Amino acid sequence: MASVKVSNLEKAYGAIKVLHQLDLEVEEGKFVVLLGPSGCGKSTLLRMIAGLESVTGGDILFDDTRVNDVHVKDRNIAMVFQNYALYAHMSVRKNMAFSMRLKKIDKKTQDEKVKWASSILGLDDYLDRLPKELSGGQRQRVAMGRAIVRDPDVFLFDEPLSNLDAKLRVQMRTEIKDLHQRLKTTTVYVTHDQIEAMTMADEVVIMRDGYIEQSGTPMEVYDKPNNLFVAQFIGSPTMNTLECQVAEENGLLYAALDNIRLPLPTDRNLQVGQALFYGIRPEHLQVSKISPNTNGATTESPLTGSVKVVEPTGPETHLYLKLSDRDICAITRDRIEIQPGDEIYLQPDLSHVHLFDRETKQAI
Amino acid sequence: MSTDTIKSVARYFVSITIVLVFVFPIAWFGLTSIKPVSAVFNKDRVVVFDFQPTFDNYRVTILGGKKSDTKADSGILMGTSGEGAYDGRGSIVSSLIIAVCSTILATSISLLAAYALSRLAFRGSQGYMHWILSQRFLPPIAIIIPLVFIFRDLGLRDTHFGIIIAHTLINIPIALLILKSFFDDVPREVDQAAMIDGATRFQCFYMVVLPMVKGGVAATAVLCFIFSWTEFLLSLFLTNSIRTIPVKITTFVTSTGSEWGYISALGTAAIIPGFIFILLVQNHLVRGLTMGAIKD
Repeated sequence: MASVKVSNLEKAYGAIKVLHQLDLEVEEGKFVVLLGPSGCGKSTLLRMIAGLESVTGGDILFDDTRVNDVHVKDRNIAMVFQNYALYAHMSVRKNMAFSMRLKKIDKKTQDEKVKWASSILGLDDYLDRLPKELSGGQRQRVAMGRAIVRDPDVFLFDEPLSNLDAKLRVQMRTEIKDLHQRLKTTTVYVTHDQIEAMTMADEVVIMRDGYIEQSGTPMEVYDKPNNLFVAQFIGSPTMNTLECQVAEENGLLYAALDNIRLPLPTDRNLQVGQALFYGIRPEHLQVSKISPNTNGATTESPLTGSVKVVEPTGPETHLYLKLSDRDICAITRDRIEIQPGDEIYLQPDLSHVHLFDRETKQAI
Repeated sequence: MSTDTIKSVARYFVSITIVLVFVFPIAWFGLTSIKPVSAVFNKDRVVVFDFQPTFDNYRVTILGGKKSDTKADSGILMGTSGEGAYDGRGSIVSSLIIAVCSTILATSISLLAAYALSRLAFRGSQGYMHWILSQRFLPPIAIIIPLVFIFRDLGLRDTHFGIIIAHTLINIPIALLILKSFFDDVPREVDQAAMIDGATRFQCFYMVVLPMVKGGVAATAVLCFIFSWTEFLLSLFLTNSIRTIPVKITTFVTSTGSEWGYISALGTAAIIPGFIFILLVQNHLVRGLTMGAIKD
């Protein structure tokens, strides 16, 4: 096992820079997920760590040893690709044993290792089959088996679940996490699926356009997004962000959206007239059919939205609403009877309101 | 009769007709090879099946029999060449040596070149393929005169080695084009996975990627073999005493007439090696070998 450190890392194709002075540290044994939209440079970063892409500037260190110029075959890493990249002409057993065959490890040890990996991955019955005789999930397991028999310093995953169907993806997600908990190998995992990132990672690194926007534990990036991009990228359904302006009445600040008044938390440094994005996650909007005023809970004029679409998912119900003329989403776990066209009352949970400067898009 | 029945009858009729059109010349050729001269040349009618089959033509062309022994029943005497002029054994051996060697050479060279062109980035790699292909843009007749002089000066004229080189040169561009497309079909991730597993670039090539393009290699080898086996122009100009089968057959057309029996016998016999070769490799002539390597 090794720690991975990336400092001032740059990548350019000719004049086009795709990674800009990245700094990243993956502690030994940690599971780090690189998350971002297509083209953000996350796969390029992973491939540079693997040694499949050259480094334009900066350093990559494994356990404080610079590996920029170490050939991919000498880095002792294992990688699982999105398209599996299995050796189609070899049986599952030979696929898994290939690296040991190259190292001229004796047959007995090879067999033991393959057996060990296949029992972990549930591939015992498929060892003599060719990849084409396996299902997608089994193929992905073979690719993982090929990686774990090598006892690598670092595990690299490049969107390994993207080609699987939804159910299998969830199952494999759990298997990969379980595997990591058992083997405790340092892992860097690339995905564009924020659910995968949230559920698997010890640390999430969110990237955009070759920059790291934020990194932290899944709950940190979820609860305290640094900027508007992270706020909107993490979370499903996505965070509601409304363009507002700070206004004041009777010494009390509020966010004005058309003629609606949104309550503001009091612990932020805000100026009257300041333009901002008012962010609130769907689950932090309390929903009720009765006006909060009627039971004396608040003296503010209540927010009302008209329901457009109701999506029950079982444990919770997603409501898509119009607030003024903006589309917003609210989630409720209460089983209230709501029909499209209904007017309902909304109350933002002030401790979970996120404010972003309209110009810099940074959190306030 | 329902429309479906009419359709299926029509479909069979059309396909059988097409097959007949293509098979007829070969069948007629084969039939001629076992006809006596009197049946080949009959002024009154076309002899199709009503003749006494004879293997004299084969005896002379591929078994080295004497022409004078076989003329007893024909009554027609043609050709002025001497004894042994119709013995095709030497040309069968020459053709085999040349076709097999040039196929192996062209396929091996193209394999390495195609892998490099498919996988490695180097200066000019984009135009390289077109440059190699452009060698085939010229009709062979245009390069034959300089080639004759060059081969003569290098002492390669009228040698097996010379023809092997000539055929290899002509085969490389096409072989390269086909093999490169097969290599392009194998995802780069497969090479990268092998390299991560500890393979060198050459190990990637021969342990991982090459077995995955077996079908392409077989197809390419078949094409190279067929080209070399049937090639006429270069073989004619670059040899005197070594005669490949196509060149040898032309010598059966003499000033006093054409020996159709011998032409068709040697021609029919010449189909056989190519046929055997294709039978041997046809199991590998499938494109689906990369199936399973990646998500389909």
